[in-house]
Amino acid sequence: MRGNIFTEEQRDALQEIANLAMGQAAARLARLLDAFIELSVPRVCVTGVNEAAQTLREMTGFDQSVTAVRQSFRSDFKGEAFVICRSRAVGSLWALVNDPHIYLAYQTISQAELILDVANVLTGAYVSCFLVQLNRAPIFSPPDLLGENIAFDDFFRADLLAWRVAVLLEVNFALENHCFRAHLVMLMSEDSISRLHGALNALLVSV
Amino acid sequence: MNEAMERSLSDLVMERVGFGIFVLDRAMNVLMWNRFMEDHSGLAAEQVVGKSIHASFPELPRAWLTRKIESVFQLGSSAFSSWEQRPYLFKFDPDRPVTGGVDVMQQDCAFVPLTRGGEVMAVCVTISDMTHVSVMQRESEEVVARLEEYANRDCVTGITNRRSFEARLREEFLRWQRYGGELSVLLFDIDQFKNINDRYGHTVGDAVLRVTAQRVANAVRVQDTLSRFGGDEFALLLPCTSLADAMIAAERVRSTIGDVPVEAHGVRVRVTASVGGAAARPGLPAYEVLIHEADAALYSAKRKGRNRSAVLA
Repeated sequence: MRGNIFTEEQRDALQEIANLAMGQAAARLARLLDAFIELSVPRVCVTGVNEAAQTLREMTGFDQSVTAVRQSFRSDFKGEAFVICRSRAVGSLWALVNDPHIYLAYQTISQAELILDVANVLTGAYVSCFLVQLNRAPIFSPPDLLGENIAFDDFFRADLLAWRVAVLLEVNFALENHCFRAHLVMLMSEDSISRLHGALNALLVSV
Repeated sequence: MNEAMERSLSDLVMERVGFGIFVLDRAMNVLMWNRFMEDHSGLAAEQVVGKSIHASFPELPRAWLTRKIESVFQLGSSAFSSWEQRPYLFKFDPDRPVTGGVDVMQQDCAFVPLTRGGEVMAVCVTISDMTHVSVMQRESEEVVARLEEYANRDCVTGITNRRSFEARLREEFLRWQRYGGELSVLLFDIDQFKNINDRYGHTVGDAVLRVTAQRVANAVRVQDTLSRFGGDEFALLLPCTSLADAMIAAERVRSTIGDVPVEAHGVRVRVTASVGGAAARPGLPAYEVLIHEADAALYSAKRKGRNRSAVLA
């Protein structure tokens, strides 16, 4: 059943939107951060609740504990986004704030605030570009630091979750010198998948 | 409902909501300022609107705020700030004039884009009062700290318990394994404590344990850890101490317990103690072995007639 949650046409459209959003988000981030940000081609898949942690491990290639920030987004469908990076890579984020104006702004912030800010910017840029393609303007919750040293298995406590299947969309961001790489993962569960169907179909009809 | 009425309703809502709302343009000029902001800042909308926010509030973190606002204009999505990282943006008094406990209102801020036709026209900033959450968090941290304290303390004598002793010994043992040096452990107990209990009762028995703990605690160094190990058995951890020095300490422990009888609940009880000592030495696989050896030494002190200290031969 998992394979045919989307028709081939819908799946292509979803991938296309994810790609477009990637280009737009990269441009906006480069302007904001005054640094060239490399984004990977987004990967879209459908995952069951029991494989979600394993899927994240495979997609990110991180098998140790990670630093992760969680954020909710909603329009008529809703989901959650995670920004995930290696805990020891966080220090190199200060490189993002090397411009004098930005440096002034950041000189008094803590590492936790820096992670939250950067995660919010990545999520805000990518998720809104993605949803704008579907004619939605998302609203975001404040970012929430899941942990600076957390295991993927702690993301999803299968016994506490109300969903079985989710659409998972992953894109990774790298600074041009590759000293920092973060993965952004968007997850939308069952009740949002049917609304996503509607949005994709509306888009397919309009082109 | 006509448009004018709708507008007056949203004005009323703005005035009455329980959080701060104001609007900034890209040049940081204030376009709107609600009643919450008026009440807490002491500045009315007429005084603030139309001017740069920095003119009215020069103490605001200028570069930080500019950066937040600019990111919203550029990305078209919200920015946030949490009281947990940055306790407040505006130095407002908390709404706790009576109960108090906090100096400044703890604030969560959201910087929300106001868009028209896909363009960000202005940024709406909301200020939520999180003081109650910060107070609750502080209280629960205090409770946890108190529980931790209870979990590590023996309730009869007030000194640390076995759990805490083993944790401390594990740490010291790891340090010794890594950096070398010396590390000793003494185990001691009160000779024929059961007889004291049987003869004078448990209240006197408990008092003997308490006095013993106090006397030894006063006779050791600050870096040593004294614990009630269980029953009438005590343990003393002596970091950076050779076996020879540990046995000098053992004699001091023995005499501080035994030199003067314990007076409790109207009776004088003569108390003596036996002490066993052991020290870490190369090849020792685990800290448990140290406890085991000190225990065996204590047993040999007992066998040799009590009221003495011994090491394992």
